[in-house]
Amino acid sequence: MPQIRANPNRMELLKLKRRGAVARRGHKLLKDKLDELMKEFQARIGANRRLRAEVERDLRGAYSQFAIARAEAGQAVLEPALMAGAPERLLGVHEKSLMSVTVPVLELDELPEPGGYSLATTPAVLDVGLSRLAAVAPRLVELAEREKAIELLAAEIERTRRRVNALEYVLIPSVDATVKDIQMKLDEAERSNLTRLMKVKDMIAQQEADEGE
Amino acid sequence: MSEKLLIAVVGDATSVAGFRPLGFDVRVVEHSEAARDVWPELIAGDHGVVFVTEPVYAAIADLVAEGVDRAVPAVTVIPAAGSAGGVGAAKLNRAIERALGISVASGEEDS
Repeated sequence: MPQIRANPNRMELLKLKRRGAVARRGHKLLKDKLDELMKEFQARIGANRRLRAEVERDLRGAYSQFAIARAEAGQAVLEPALMAGAPERLLGVHEKSLMSVTVPVLELDELPEPGGYSLATTPAVLDVGLSRLAAVAPRLVELAEREKAIELLAAEIERTRRRVNALEYVLIPSVDATVKDIQMKLDEAERSNLTRLMKVKDMIAQQEADEGE
Repeated sequence: MSEKLLIAVVGDATSVAGFRPLGFDVRVVEHSEAARDVWPELIAGDHGVVFVTEPVYAAIADLVAEGVDRAVPAVTVIPAAGSAGGVGAAKLNRAIERALGISVASGEEDS
């Protein structure tokens, strides 16, 4: 494990020990966050799959009504009839925080009553198709909201996992290795100091013995 | 953010024309690549949700991926009339892959 460059003294040792403790605490917190995010994520996946299958089935049902309408009236009549209205601002958007991830909350207003086309020239099945589409629209918006939340959660999970791994496999081991290294160097210095002192003491004792003779 | 936003639908006329009477901002594109031209307008902040049909998503997946970390607009894939389906589920699977770091079975067992 690559070590952190630090002078082998007590000051650095203390600093590194504190840094290691902070990293461990951060790692635990992030790991708890990751677990919670995963729980939230997995709970949403299943529900979303069911909703998507339902919405896709209903949309295809509406499309088939439009296909019949097109066959009956012809594209030339149908297209101008459908494209008559103007887009409206139907969507209220708020944001909420979901485990520190900002996700949108979408609220669909009441849809305008489809109209503006001639009932004489367009087939009745067109009305059926439009009412089916209107019925699926709120779930379509719900699906959009849920899928966006899932995507944002996925991004946050990825980021959090990278951080957890960086702490677990890089920072904490290298701090530990450096602390151990400094500790060994300090112990070594301590031992060599002690040996020197003993040697000096011996030399002084020898000198005094020589002078006493 | 309390102002009301638009809902856009991008796709071929056959699939998306029906959304206009419901008040959606329908962008009809003749061929899927043409969606690239309208895309900057759709992500400018005026739209809360952008629905794209499967062929359009297949053509502009790179543009959609750029905005994946932004809260709005929420880009959602819907089936087009006559398309094979499964693209929306595949998009979701990519999110799962991103979260778990591994690819998992598409979950057919619960459908």
